[in-house]
Amino acid sequence: MSSSFQHVTCLGCGCACDDIVVTVENERIIRAERACPLGVAWFGDGRVPGEIRVDGHPSGLEEALDGAADLLRAARGRLLVFLGADLTCSAQRAAVGIADRLRAVTESVVSENASAGILAAQRRGRAGCTLGEIRNRADLVLFWGTDPDEQYPRFRSRFTPLSGLHLRRGHAGRSIVSVAIGTDTGPAEADLHLTLAPQEEVAALAELRARLLGRSLGDPAPWSPELAGLADRLLRAKYVALIHDGERSDQQRPPERIEALIALAQALNGPTRAALTSLRGGGNRSGVEAVLTWQTGFPFAVDFSRGAPRYQPDRRAADRLDAGALAAALVVGAPTSVPETLQRGLARIPTVVVGPRASEAPFPARVIIDTGVAGIHEPGVGYRMDDVPLPLQGVLPGPRPATETLIQLLGRLVPGRTEVRS
Amino acid sequence: MKSPERLRIVGAAVYDPLNGIQGDVRDICIEDGRIVAQVPLGTPTLNARGTIVMPGGVDIHSHVASSACNHARRLLPEEHTAEPVPAPELRDGEAPARSGTGGTLPSTFTTGYRYAGLGYTTVFDAAVAPLTARHSHEEFDDTPIVDGGFFVLLGNDEYLLRQIETGNPDRARDYAAWILGATGGYAIKVVNPGGIQAWKSGQRNLTEIDQPLGSSRVTPRAILETLTDAANSLRLPHPVHIHCNNLGVPGNARTTLQSMETLAGRRAHFTHLQFHCYGGGAGDGWSSAAQRVIEYLNANPLLSADVGQVMFGPATTISADAPIEYLLHANSGRKWTNIDVELETGCGIVPYSFQERAAVSALQWAVGLELFLLSADPWRLVLSTDHPNGGSFLSYPTLIQQLMDRDARAEQLKRVNAKLLAGSVLADGLSREYTLNEIAIVTRAGPARLLGLRHKGHLGVGADADLTFYSRERNIARMFARPRYVIKGGVLVVEEGQLRRAPAGRRLRVSPGHDTAVLRDLRRHFNAHATVAFENFPVRGLRDAPMEIG
Repeated sequence: MSSSFQHVTCLGCGCACDDIVVTVENERIIRAERACPLGVAWFGDGRVPGEIRVDGHPSGLEEALDGAADLLRAARGRLLVFLGADLTCSAQRAAVGIADRLRAVTESVVSENASAGILAAQRRGRAGCTLGEIRNRADLVLFWGTDPDEQYPRFRSRFTPLSGLHLRRGHAGRSIVSVAIGTDTGPAEADLHLTLAPQEEVAALAELRARLLGRSLGDPAPWSPELAGLADRLLRAKYVALIHDGERSDQQRPPERIEALIALAQALNGPTRAALTSLRGGGNRSGVEAVLTWQTGFPFAVDFSRGAPRYQPDRRAADRLDAGALAAALVVGAPTSVPETLQRGLARIPTVVVGPRASEAPFPARVIIDTGVAGIHEPGVGYRMDDVPLPLQGVLPGPRPATETLIQLLGRLVPGRTEVRS
Repeated sequence: MKSPERLRIVGAAVYDPLNGIQGDVRDICIEDGRIVAQVPLGTPTLNARGTIVMPGGVDIHSHVASSACNHARRLLPEEHTAEPVPAPELRDGEAPARSGTGGTLPSTFTTGYRYAGLGYTTVFDAAVAPLTARHSHEEFDDTPIVDGGFFVLLGNDEYLLRQIETGNPDRARDYAAWILGATGGYAIKVVNPGGIQAWKSGQRNLTEIDQPLGSSRVTPRAILETLTDAANSLRLPHPVHIHCNNLGVPGNARTTLQSMETLAGRRAHFTHLQFHCYGGGAGDGWSSAAQRVIEYLNANPLLSADVGQVMFGPATTISADAPIEYLLHANSGRKWTNIDVELETGCGIVPYSFQERAAVSALQWAVGLELFLLSADPWRLVLSTDHPNGGSFLSYPTLIQQLMDRDARAEQLKRVNAKLLAGSVLADGLSREYTLNEIAIVTRAGPARLLGLRHKGHLGVGADADLTFYSRERNIARMFARPRYVIKGGVLVVEEGQLRRAPAGRRLRVSPGHDTAVLRDLRRHFNAHATVAFENFPVRGLRDAPMEIG
C-alpha cells in the first residue's frame, strides 16, 4: 500500500519548493516527484534513527531528559544552546525559550558569509523582494558570482523562467547577465558574460554604482568599458533582480563585498526598480533568524547570560569554546549542521543533542535523543530564503515526542538560572 | 495561587461610556472571564477603592506582529542593544516569563507585557501581506496576554485589481472574503490604493485619485469603492481600513477629502488621519488642514478615523506604502529596507525621529492634536500613534495628558519650532480638555465599537472581563502609564502596578462566506503566477474559532 502527499514543502535548500509529491510505501519514501537532486537526497527514504542514549548506553526518555537536565544544571559557567537545521519554527521557538531560561549563549546555523550579509543589511537596510517578484517582474536578472543550478537547482526554473506576469512574452522579455568572480561563475546560458578577478570585485561594484548615479570614480580600470555597458543595461531595465549566493563561494570574500552589493541594489531604485536576493541554504535556517529576531530583537549570536538578550556577532561560540568560556551545550536540530570549528570545541564539554539523527552526531555527546526531521516527520512552519513562511507536512511518523515537546519537557526540568555561575 | 474564576470588584469608580456610566462607584462581578450581573456570596473580592476602572484598552491600529515588523526589528540592532529587558517576575506557577528587548519595535514577549502593563488588552496589527499571514500568527503566539488580530493588505493585490479592471465587483468581494478566511485576518486594509503597484511597476506612485494605474482602468477611487463595498456587503465587523494616497505630503488634505467624499454615505474607516491632513503643496510649504478634514468627518456619521498622533522622540516608519518610504530614505539619508511582496503589496522601513526643533515634526504634532480637539464625536475619532510610525505605544499616557490638560499641551507647544504653525488653531489656543469619559471612549469604547467587538470596550453583562484600574493622580501621564490592576479575560495580570501573570491571548479573526466559484479561478491564478501552492496558502490549524458575522 502506498500513499501520496501533495504540495509537500522541501527544505533541501532555501528555495523551499512546495510542489513536491511524496509517495510513501511501508513507512519509507519511495518517490519525491518534482524534487531536484538536492531535494531527493534531503527526503531520502525518510528513515531516521530513533535512539535515546545516555553516556553511550540506550536509555528511556525520562532518564535521558533527567540526565540532560542534570548535566545542564550542574554546569558551572555559561551554557551554549545551538539552534541547528531541520527544526520547525515551533521547535525553534521552544529552543530559544530554553536558552533564555538557562541564560545561555546561542549559536545557530548561519554561515560566515550569511552573517556578514546580515550585519551589512543592519548597517544599510536593503532593497529586496520575495522570489515571486523576480518571476513576475524582473526583465533583467544579474547573477553576481553565482550559478544557482548547483546548490539551488530549481531556482532558475521556478523564479526566472522565460515568461512572467509583467514581462513581454518570449525570450526578449527577460535578459540574463552573468558576472563571474574568479571561479564563481554565473549561468552558462546568460545573454551577457563578464568576468572579474576576486580582488577587483568591490571596486567594480563601487564603479558600477557611481555610474548609475551619474558619476565616475576616475582612474578607469581595464574593465570599465564593460561595466559602463552593464550600467546602461541596468538603467534600461524596468526591474533588476540582483542575485548572489549568501552562503558559499570558492573564494575568501571581503566583508565589504555584500555591503557594496546592497548599496548597488539600493542605488538602482532611484532611476529604476531593483531587488537583491541572497541565496540561502535549507533546513529552515531562515526560520531560525526570524524566530530569534521576533523573540529577542536579533537574528543570530544572541547571548542571554545577563538575563536579557545581548547581540554578540563578534564573539562567536567557536571562539568562546576555544577560550574555555562555555561549560556545557545543548544542541537542538541536526548535529551535522554544527560547523566543524564548533564541533571540535563541543568534544571538550558535556553536550546534549536533541534533533534528527542526533545519534549520528559527528562529535561526542553525553545525552542523545533522536527526533524526526521538520517537514518529513514533524509538521509545522518553515521559511523560504525570502522569509516567506510555508507549511511543513509530516509524511512519515517519526520518533516521538516531537522536538518542540521534548524541549518543553526539558525546560520544565531545569530551573531557570538567575545568574551565570562560574 | 491560581486566580479565582469568580471575582467581585468593589470600590472603583467605573467609566463605562457604552453603558452611560461616568464615575459611579459600583461593584463589578466576573465569572469565567466574563462580566456577570452577580456572583455568589463568599466570592473573592478585589478592593479597588481609590481607583477608576475602565474596560481594557483597545488599539485599533498598531504594527506589532508581522513580517514587516520583523524586517524592521532586524534593521534596528542598535535600539535593541540599548534596551535589554529582563523577564518580568511572574507569580509562581506561571509559565516562565521571557526576556526581550525594547526600542520602537520591541521583541514579541516584551510587546505583550508592555501593552498589558499599560492597560491595553486588545491589539490589531494594521498591515499584513496575506502571503505572510502565517508569520503574523506565529508572532502573535509569542505575544502574550493581549487578544490580537490583523488587517490584510488588499489595495494593491493583483488578483483584486484584475477584478476591478474587468468590472467584476462580486468576484472582488468573494476574493476578499476568501483571503480573510484563508489568512485568519480580521479586516480589509487598503494602503495607498494602486500606488504600491505603481511603485513596483516603474510608474513610481499614484498621486491623484483618478489617476489610472498604468494603461488600465484601475484608479485609486475604483479600488476604494470596490473594497469599501466588499467589506460592507460582507457585513464585516470592521469596515474597510484606509490609508489614503499621498501620505505625509504637503497638500494631501485634498486627496483625503476626495477619498472621503467618494465614500460618503458608506461605512469606512480612515487611518492615521494626521498624516493625511496637510495643506500647502509643492513649492508652497506645509500648513495644517486639520480643520477642513475634521469638519468633513464630523458631518459624515458613517465615516470614522484614528488619529496617528506624532509624539516627539524616536520612531520607526514601517509601511506597505513603499514609495513614500523610499522618498523618506532619499530625503533623510537614513537606512532603508524595501521588500516587494509578490502579487500583493510592498513594504518599506526607515528609522526616523520626530524632533521638537523640526518645523515639520511640530506641525505634524499640532495637526494630530487639532483633529482630537476639533472632533465632535469621540466614538468616531479614536486614539492611535500608528505605533511605531508616529511614536511608540508607550507614549499614549503622554498623549492622554496632552488631551486632558491644556497646560501640559501649552508647555509642549512652547518648546516646538513654530515656523509652520501660523494659522494653526492649536497655536491660537484650543482650550478643550478631554474628560475621563472621553478618554475612555477614544482608547477603548470607541475603537471596540468601530471594530465591531461587541464583547469588548464596555463592562456590561456578557462583556469580556478585560479591565484596567488607574490610581487617581494629578499627573495624568503617570496615572495612565502605570495601572494599578489589569484584568485580562478574568485573570489578574497586573497587581499593584506589577505584571504578575501572562496568559496567552486569543486571536480575533473572521471567515466570511463566499461564492465558491472564485476558487477555480483563483487556482488558475495561483498556478500561473504564484510561487506558493494554492493549497499551501491558507493558514490552517488556528486555535481560536472565527468570530460570528452579522
